Amino acid sequence: MSTYTKKQVKDLVDGDLDWDTLHKMLSMPKDIERYSNYVSVLQDQVSWDDKIIIPVGPHLYIVETVKDKELVTKCRCGHGFGDYTLNWKLNALVYIRDSEEKMNQVYPKLMAPDTDWQVYREYYCPTCGTMHDVEVPTPWYPVMHDFEPDIKTFFDWVGLPAPVNA
Amino acid sequence: MEQLDNPVEVMGIDAGGTMTDTFFVRADGEFVVGKAQSDVDESKAVLESSVDALTHWGRKVDDVFPEMVTCVFSGTAMLNRVVGRKGLRTGLIVSKGFEDFHRMGRALQSYLGYAFEDRIHLNTHRYDEPLVSIKDTRGVTERIDSKGNIVIPVRLHEAKIAARELIEQGCKAIVISFLSSYLDGRHERAVRDVCLEVIKEMGADIPVFASVDYYPVRKESHRTNTTILEAYAAEPSRAILSALSSKMGDHGGTFDLRVMASHGGTIGWKAKELARTLVSGPIGGVIGAKYLGEQLGYENIACSDIGGTSFDMALITKNNFAMHQDGDVARLVLSLPLVSMDTIGAGAGSFVRIDPHSNSIKLGPDSAGYKVGTCWPEGGLTTVSVTDCHILLGYLNPDNFLGGVLKLDVDVAREAVKTQIADPLGLSVEDAAAGVIELLDLSLRQHLRAMITGKGYSPRDFVCFSYGGAGPVHAYGYTKGLGFKETIVPAWAAGFSAFGCATANFEYRYDKSVDIGITKDSSKDDIEKSVKSLQVAWDELKEKVLEEFRINGFKDEDVTLIPGYRMQYLGQLNDLEIDSPLTSLSGADDWDALVQAFDDTYARVYASAARSPELGFGITGAILSGSVETKKPKIPYEPIVGPNPPKEACLGTRPFYYDKKWVDADIYQMEALQPGNKIMGPAIIESDATTFVVPPTFKTFLDEHRLFHLIEC
Repeated sequence: MSTYTKKQVKDLVDGDLDWDTLHKMLSMPKDIERYSNYVSVLQDQVSWDDKIIIPVGPHLYIVETVKDKELVTKCRCGHGFGDYTLNWKLNALVYIRDSEEKMNQVYPKLMAPDTDWQVYREYYCPTCGTMHDVEVPTPWYPVMHDFEPDIKTFFDWVGLPAPVNA
Repeated sequence: MEQLDNPVEVMGIDAGGTMTDTFFVRADGEFVVGKAQSDVDESKAVLESSVDALTHWGRKVDDVFPEMVTCVFSGTAMLNRVVGRKGLRTGLIVSKGFEDFHRMGRALQSYLGYAFEDRIHLNTHRYDEPLVSIKDTRGVTERIDSKGNIVIPVRLHEAKIAARELIEQGCKAIVISFLSSYLDGRHERAVRDVCLEVIKEMGADIPVFASVDYYPVRKESHRTNTTILEAYAAEPSRAILSALSSKMGDHGGTFDLRVMASHGGTIGWKAKELARTLVSGPIGGVIGAKYLGEQLGYENIACSDIGGTSFDMALITKNNFAMHQDGDVARLVLSLPLVSMDTIGAGAGSFVRIDPHSNSIKLGPDSAGYKVGTCWPEGGLTTVSVTDCHILLGYLNPDNFLGGVLKLDVDVAREAVKTQIADPLGLSVEDAAAGVIELLDLSLRQHLRAMITGKGYSPRDFVCFSYGGAGPVHAYGYTKGLGFKETIVPAWAAGFSAFGCATANFEYRYDKSVDIGITKDSSKDDIEKSVKSLQVAWDELKEKVLEEFRINGFKDEDVTLIPGYRMQYLGQLNDLEIDSPLTSLSGADDWDALVQAFDDTYARVYASAARSPELGFGITGAILSGSVETKKPKIPYEPIVGPNPPKEACLGTRPFYYDKKWVDADIYQMEALQPGNKIMGPAIIESDATTFVVPPTFKTFLDEHRLFHLIEC
């Protein structure tokens, strides 16, 4: 079985890994330590102490709070979006591109969808302004709840003790 | 003087990435192998390696080179240049509007060369850097349609600007490849001439390659890639080979330096189409097996070459090997005819790991390479390789690996196998290591069987040749139970590829696409026209082949020309390459002979029952090969002495683990064995470059050509 150093996993996260190692990592069965290494690399990137449980976006995590072991969704900057079972988007700032003018800011003229049948909804962190997600639905569609992880089962798969409130 | 009675006649060079091997053959068939570290200056490495080889005979380069009549080079420098994207900066001129097709590449190129698991694993797919950057690509307005009609005449003033810009930017070569140019080459040739004019005006000295002059075949990406390689990769090699040739001249050599090419022949280093020499290593073995088969009367041969990283297989049926029309090399689709081979990425040096999910042994796909395994601590490896298993089970001699150059540590290997393989599986170290070897042998055996039965043959009709550095170690394992007529291990297995290169013909081959389709409703006129168009293609190719030989100083009348064609049943996707039964075609009456030759070949390659002539026949390509006589190495011959090995060949015994128990294997020195000697397993026959394993229930004898015959009792 292959094993990788934390440095290699950090390079993987940063996108700095050489192709040969990356290819090997993609092709080979995952090493047992991979997930804990991965999460610990992410933990090193943030300034707060709550424990990262699962990343749900490049800058968004489900974390276990130090204070009362609650599971909440949290931005890299530290902004909290509330309980992880609720849709974090409901607590985010939203910008909706629903006119040709707004579409022309991101796509050349005539190369964006007709906003009568498709709009872009961009979700931002209210504290740091990081864009966490973009939805591309029909205008009348409700806010999408991307997914709600089964944390207990997942931790069972990766062979780690699950958070107490999972 | 002994030298003059027995001159050194043939030299083979295998210039690899780390080592440069040379192979010298004397008139009596005796040979020596030399090794030297490869160098940026290839001629230096070749000379050092030659000195090393000739020391065995106590002779000097300056005495031997003048005696030699032929020298064949094969090397990896050109391939490495492509893989490392370190070629000549090349400018590309294409049909306007198609500037991006080269960098987009064919989707296939994103997973070429991958193991099956990775082919279906999209995340691993990846496009390599294009050979020519988009900044060095220009479009010229022109169009020839798929029927060969000129739809838009070429705008030559655009070509002029394009050429000037490319040269000013610093391109060192220009390649021209237009859509459908294989049907009408006038546009490409006109642009080529414009480029040459511009180069002259600017006082530059750079070569121009029009695809129609080199590879006038269908499939844009293949043709363009191949023509680019001619500039990008082959042009720098020309300089290296020129230097090597003149260096050999300085030492008295008067022979022609030839290079092994993918079509199975050798070509002169001055050849126009040098990109054909991109791959040559594994092909040498197939050529050598064919030659040996012809000399000794084996017409059906399964060739198997196992080295440290891969297992290469090829079939020779009725003294012929199959050709693959669009070979791919270095993850590029190419228009190069290639000796058809199957390769799997499992070799004697493959890494061994435990799959944590299925808790089973997994081999490769990567391998230890020159670092051998954990048994060579200086190599710095920590992952177990197949070699580690061989060492600890007594298959290989830890004190005589590569002639004792590397000292291997059995205890380190034992500990690594114990912690990484045996303990996790709950097995003893011996059983775990034996399991690894069994798994590798099983996998090789399955591939070998699949290759033979997949073509409708039975192993019973074949003799299996086993060579490559590790061939003799594994021969028993991957042939066991398959039912080959015989398994043959040449005593010079490690140098067999170099030997094969030296047996190859001096042969040029040119290809051209043609479009011929004849159904049962076709008129005599149609057939007449088709036959004529094939003859026109042959005439065009013949001129090219003769031109190549003229460059090397041969007269037209010395060249034997063999026309060929690729034919298929209409409605089928695959065609077959056929040597034409007629040397020239005069009219419709010749058609039936072409069809008959195809029908016969089809029945030989597949089966008579699979023939399907109902929809008619198509010819997709014209081929012309030309060859001249060359000196070839003689196959060694020594008279039979007797069944008992001489005393000096016996080196004692060594514990050897086989079939779940330790036995004492007799150890022999390979070079000291005499023709006729019979040896019962368990025995291990050692030489510097290879080890031949004869386990219990097997026996072997050495024949008068220094070929070991391995027999299952």
